[in-house]
Amino acid sequence: MTSLVFFYLACVVILSGGLTVVLSRNIIYAAFGLMAALAGVAGLFILSFAPFLALVQILIYGGAIVIVIIFALMLTKLEDFRTLSDHKHWPIALIASLLTLGTIVAAAFYTPVNLASRRGVDLSKMAHELFSQWAIPFEIASLLLLIALMGGVIMVRKTDSSDDK
Amino acid sequence: MIELTHFQVLSGLLFAIGLYGVLARRNLILVLMSIELMLNAVNINLIGYSSFMNASESHRALGHVLIIFVITVAAAELALAIAIILRLYRNKSSINTDDINIMKW
Amino acid sequence: MDSNNTIGLHAAWVIPLLSAIAFLIIVISMRLVGFFFSERSKLVMLAPILSITAILTGFILFWLVLLDVLNFGGGSISMNWLTVGLTEIRWGIFVDKVSVTMLGLVTFIALLVQVYSLGYMKGDRHFEWYFAIHSLFAAAMLTLVLADNLLFLYFAWELVGLGSYLLIGFWWEKRSAAEAAKKAFITTRIGDVCLLIGIILLFKATGTFNISTIFHIAESGGIGEVTLNSSILLIFIGAMGKSAQFPFHVWLPDAMEGPTPVSALIHAATMVAAGVYLVARMMPIFQLAPEIMLIVMIIGLITFIFAGTMALVMSDIKKVLAYSTISHLGLMMLCLGAGGVAAAIFHLVVHGIAKALLFLGAGSVMHSISNETNIWKMGGLRHRMPITAVTFFIGAASLAGLPPLAGFFSKDELLLSVLHDGQYVVLAITLFGVFLSALYMARVAIVPFLGSTPKHLAKSHESSLIMWIPLVILAILSAGVGFLILPLSSSYPGWAEFIDPTHHFELEPWLMILSIILALAALILGWSIYLKKSVSAKQVSQFAPYLYKAILNKYYIDDFYQWVIDKCVLAFGRLVALFDRVVINDTAVDGSAISIYLSALKTRVLQTGYLFTYGAAMAIGACGLSILWWVLLD
Repeated sequence: MTSLVFFYLACVVILSGGLTVVLSRNIIYAAFGLMAALAGVAGLFILSFAPFLALVQILIYGGAIVIVIIFALMLTKLEDFRTLSDHKHWPIALIASLLTLGTIVAAAFYTPVNLASRRGVDLSKMAHELFSQWAIPFEIASLLLLIALMGGVIMVRKTDSSDDK
Repeated sequence: MIELTHFQVLSGLLFAIGLYGVLARRNLILVLMSIELMLNAVNINLIGYSSFMNASESHRALGHVLIIFVITVAAAELALAIAIILRLYRNKSSINTDDINIMKW
Repeated sequence: MDSNNTIGLHAAWVIPLLSAIAFLIIVISMRLVGFFFSERSKLVMLAPILSITAILTGFILFWLVLLDVLNFGGGSISMNWLTVGLTEIRWGIFVDKVSVTMLGLVTFIALLVQVYSLGYMKGDRHFEWYFAIHSLFAAAMLTLVLADNLLFLYFAWELVGLGSYLLIGFWWEKRSAAEAAKKAFITTRIGDVCLLIGIILLFKATGTFNISTIFHIAESGGIGEVTLNSSILLIFIGAMGKSAQFPFHVWLPDAMEGPTPVSALIHAATMVAAGVYLVARMMPIFQLAPEIMLIVMIIGLITFIFAGTMALVMSDIKKVLAYSTISHLGLMMLCLGAGGVAAAIFHLVVHGIAKALLFLGAGSVMHSISNETNIWKMGGLRHRMPITAVTFFIGAASLAGLPPLAGFFSKDELLLSVLHDGQYVVLAITLFGVFLSALYMARVAIVPFLGSTPKHLAKSHESSLIMWIPLVILAILSAGVGFLILPLSSSYPGWAEFIDPTHHFELEPWLMILSIILALAALILGWSIYLKKSVSAKQVSQFAPYLYKAILNKYYIDDFYQWVIDKCVLAFGRLVALFDRVVINDTAVDGSAISIYLSALKTRVLQTGYLFTYGAAMAIGACGLSILWWVLLD
């Protein structure tokens, strides 16, 4: 019972955060809305008996990603965007998102799943799986991060005459 | 009682909201934020399945592992996307999606 | 009797071969002369020497062949050329009395004409080429006469047509000559196509091209009636084309654009006789189709009368002779239609000699008065050119049917054949035609040669020796050949039976006398109109002015043909061109390219470059796909 209450609470946080991102005029509000949504998701992780994941979520999303986004927002001029007219093509966007929603919900209700009661996965078990069964994806993920890092650095370097623009 | 459908519907809603943001918002960075929302929707779905599936623990652990990977990839992709946006801003002084239309017929 | 390996038989196929070799050597040497020598005059006589030698040798060999036929009755030899499946296509010759007769006629007339041309064509720019084509033509005509299978005959037939085209258009720098050559070729071509179809029909029915074999199969009933009738009709149409029967006669008068010796050889004696020869040769199967024989007779009759009326009003001497030729060819066809093969062949020989004589005489006249052809501008030439005049008179009288010249005998035989066939109406009309032919012959003989000489012709003179010797030879023959028809000795039962053993020499005195009376009456009428001028030609022509005008305009047939060509043929050609341009080029070829371009033009618009478009398309597409998957799999 309590879990349901907490679930709906997390729901509200997530959805309002998401709507802020999508509908807000002020982009800093949008960034904070994103933060809120991510925090809500972390809450959901806790509800699903995965505290480690919640921690990772807060740390990485909240600590790194949103920060980087705000940095990027600062680096590009903020003043211009107050006068932007957003939602120019809102009908088609609405249709697309409603269509997607419908598809997912229909799939949710009509797909038979073999269910048990809600329970979590032990952290050591997860760690064991990560490093044995899913070791190769793990390594590839680390490689991916390296490439992203290098790529990011190269992309934003100040170009001088020796590089091609 | 929380059911799997709760997680699924929530995931669908968040995905739809994120999709609307991608299509409707004009600031590229906001588009990026909406993409993050979509990825989080996927995460919610995964944790839901991981919690409710009737399978052994090692099979359910896949859900958690995938969540880790999604977060990782989201981070990496965001970094590169920001790099591209900054480059674009340097060249065109604008990150309005309406102005970026050179790759057309 | 080893009739397949005698000297005579082998001599037969050598004859055309000699002329063909002469043609090749002349053509090659002409090229070499062009390459190596700039001074032509020394070698220019090489061409006629080669050509005349070839034809002279041919004439001498003819006597060998004749001997062979008299002793052994002829034979055939052949050689395999091509075998396709079960069909053998052979080169072969077939020598019998009819073909040996033609052999003699062709070699003899060709020889005389080539000798005559030495004088007539002297100084012409294309002197060697003239003799080259003459050799080619002689080779082709001789092959046609000797051929033993229809394919080989058709091959020679086409070559003869080619030779005619080249010779009519010999002075091709003159526009009218080129047009005339084209007209001749195209008109005969229609006949040639029909001939080919007929040959193919016969081949389909019998499986062979060999004439003797076809006769055997046909006589034993091996060919269906429809096939037989249609193939015979088609073969006859081919003969009509070459022999200038109505309605294919239009090319012959225009063919007078060629040099006069050419007209003498080709359009009097040999090529136009090819049609008559073909019908005579194919007579065994023609006799199996009596309706077609009737058609042959009627077409012959129409041509005879029709051309006869036109010969009566023309002013150009060569055109008169041309229409006279058409008319006499009609008479020969008429006789063939009545079943008189021997009479027709005899008349072919007699007419050939006499017409060649007349043409060469006309050429002699034209040569001495700088190519003037209008008979009303000539007169009294017998004082200036006595030899030409006398020979011309003999030829004209022969063709008019005066005894005891050859023409009288041959006309008599023709009339007899028609009588024996029981066609009294045709006979009556033919007698009228005989009257006409005598009349126009009188006209064309009297007007240029008798009467008074106009002032501008005072300087005209007789032709050179080399030109009047052939005239004399032909005149002598024209006078004497007729006696061959009579049974002269116990071993020679008369020409008719010689050719066709079922035909016995007969006389119908009343017919003979009637034809003599008609000929004399026509001559007297001609004398009084054209010399004494006691009956005015103008008054006669005013008697039926529309008819006169129609005849003068050649019954407007040429105009009709031109109209058909303009309206139908060219219009069809334009239609086909339109179809080709619009449907095939614009729609199919260009169209397939343009349609791709246009569709690309429309589809390109989807690549807008906006994030929004791509994103929306992806989202909606993905949803659509998943719904589709869901629907199809569940």
